Amino acid sequence: MTSQTPFLVLDHVSKVYRRNQSLIERIRKMEEGGTKAVSDVSLVISEGETVGLVGESGCGKSTLARLVSGLMAPTQGDIVFRKDPAGKTPRLQMIFQDPYSSLNGRWTIEDIIAEPIKVHRLRRGRAAIRARVDELLVQVGLSPTDAEKYPQEFSGGQRQRISIARALAGEPQFLILDEPTSALDVSVQAQILNLLRDLQKNLGLTSLFITHNLSVVRIMADRIGVMYLGELVEEASAEQLFRKPKHPYTRLLIDAAPNMDTSDRSLHPIAGELPNPAFPPAGCRFHTRCPFAQDVCRTAAPPRKATPEGGMFRCHFDLDLSKEVKTPPLAKVKTA
Amino acid sequence: MTTPLLDVRDLTVTINRDGRPITALDKVSFSVNPGEVLGVVGESGAGKSITGAAIIDLLVPPLKRTGGTISLNGDRLDQLSPKEMRRVRGGKIGFIFQDPMTSLNPVITIGRQLCDAIETHLRLGGNETKRRALDWIARVGLPNPDVQFKRYPHQLSGGMRQRIVIALALCANPSLVIADEPTTALDVSVQAHILQLMRDLHRESEVSMMLITHDLGVIAKMADRVAVLYAGRVAEISPVAELFANPSHPYTRGLIRATPMPTADGGVQLDQIPGAMPGLGAVPPGCAFNPRCSRAQSDCRSVVPPLVTQESSAFSCFHPLERDVA
Repeated sequence: MTSQTPFLVLDHVSKVYRRNQSLIERIRKMEEGGTKAVSDVSLVISEGETVGLVGESGCGKSTLARLVSGLMAPTQGDIVFRKDPAGKTPRLQMIFQDPYSSLNGRWTIEDIIAEPIKVHRLRRGRAAIRARVDELLVQVGLSPTDAEKYPQEFSGGQRQRISIARALAGEPQFLILDEPTSALDVSVQAQILNLLRDLQKNLGLTSLFITHNLSVVRIMADRIGVMYLGELVEEASAEQLFRKPKHPYTRLLIDAAPNMDTSDRSLHPIAGELPNPAFPPAGCRFHTRCPFAQDVCRTAAPPRKATPEGGMFRCHFDLDLSKEVKTPPLAKVKTA
Repeated sequence: MTTPLLDVRDLTVTINRDGRPITALDKVSFSVNPGEVLGVVGESGAGKSITGAAIIDLLVPPLKRTGGTISLNGDRLDQLSPKEMRRVRGGKIGFIFQDPMTSLNPVITIGRQLCDAIETHLRLGGNETKRRALDWIARVGLPNPDVQFKRYPHQLSGGMRQRIVIALALCANPSLVIADEPTTALDVSVQAHILQLMRDLHRESEVSMMLITHDLGVIAKMADRVAVLYAGRVAEISPVAELFANPSHPYTRGLIRATPMPTADGGVQLDQIPGAMPGLGAVPPGCAFNPRCSRAQSDCRSVVPPLVTQESSAFSCFHPLERDVA
């Protein structure tokens, strides 16, 4: 792994979604409430590295993607890209989850893929642009004859290939992938993941890969961050995270997804339900569902601890979680 | 051999497009034994949900059942009148839908919805009905049944709503439950809860279950036997352990290998199947899988392979994968 100047640094980034205050509330200067979607996240991405972010819905992973892409400004903290010698920030592109709503149905594939080329003035002249579009289509496994067609003539997997071609057309140094295969079937998902892996290798892209599927992120990412209720609770290399997770939530999340082993048919639910992100529990945010929780977890937020392998985790204890955690099979359900 | 509870033979569903019938389900045959969980797996468009809907006659036009027989406990469901069918739906066959947000009535309390279902099918009288409803709320794991009874669906989280949907499907003591992607809309941690609940209730009530899903992990944990559907046809039916260890149909193996799953040695395998499943009306002649199959030969391209039964499993393939016979 390369480790010169970091490519991207997130420094204690937070994002609060505020609700609109009523007139009376504003006149009385009442406390502004809001949902802290991302809370104090620090993350460093090196050049050529793929960092995965996993978590359940509402954990703030998509909000973080929007913050990094600049579509939203963080409420607190800084997001700093390394500037190139000319003082420019690196070019960035995004690939979205839903290939049905992220492509304009009234544009031909050529228009769609050519737009980033024109905007960034990467090629001059119609012939050069068209040649580049053809090249990109071939690169993502489509044919140049597809350029005249419209998005609705393609299947979900092919549309996602078009999305990838469009992202690559901007010749990005940094790519944000927000659940790029969640809407696809398994056999097609495997095609897209293999394509993305090849592109990563050949183009040396730095990327942020967001998903809720741990198996997918294990394939795609060099390092993985696990998010829970807006906080980054653990970060480690992909290898380390699966072999020796340090945060109880990571361990439980790994066990919760059913694998294809038919000899051991036990299920591993995580006790309780995801609390409302607008009112996260006091102390450690995971304490309401954690089998290891003690009194200290209910009152004090755990500090950020670094691991000797270069990762970090937020837990009061230094637990050995390399084995499956046995939880009582029928844990009590808490009301949301 | 036990008599199957549900027996589906040559079920055919067509869709009329511009006066031309297009086959959506092509002679699908399978059976569910008493107390068994049959997993139905396939990619989107394979006809999993259509199969479930066809059994309880809930096909949305222009989809139409055009052939085949469906029998439940010896009764022919396909010959029932719409009125008689209403007594089967929710009574003899419970249904769990994918999306707990849309499968509950938003303007009626969950207590009322449960009472309605129980009263319609069991006719127990007011007090007993309410007692049963409260009992079901507790059985599916919601705390304070008295409070929950008066709540509306929007006041519950996704996981809790799905628990209520499960209670609704089971409250009239059906002999078969059809669960169509019951956990797809839920997060991993909640999914495991719902699966655990379904397993516990299945053990208690010994109800038979048809579990429709695209997730092979869910199949591996929940099903006793598995039917693999591809382009509206049955590719393979096998006991679950055999299906994962020794699949017969090349598509089954392709599906297993395409699912990203960590292997025992810590690495991750990922083999893709080339191409995509043919859409409605675009099924190639012969075996529907032949354009994507590495074992395809000339007979696969011209003749539709029949479903051949071999010991405990059945598959439709001319050149099945060899078994590693120990």
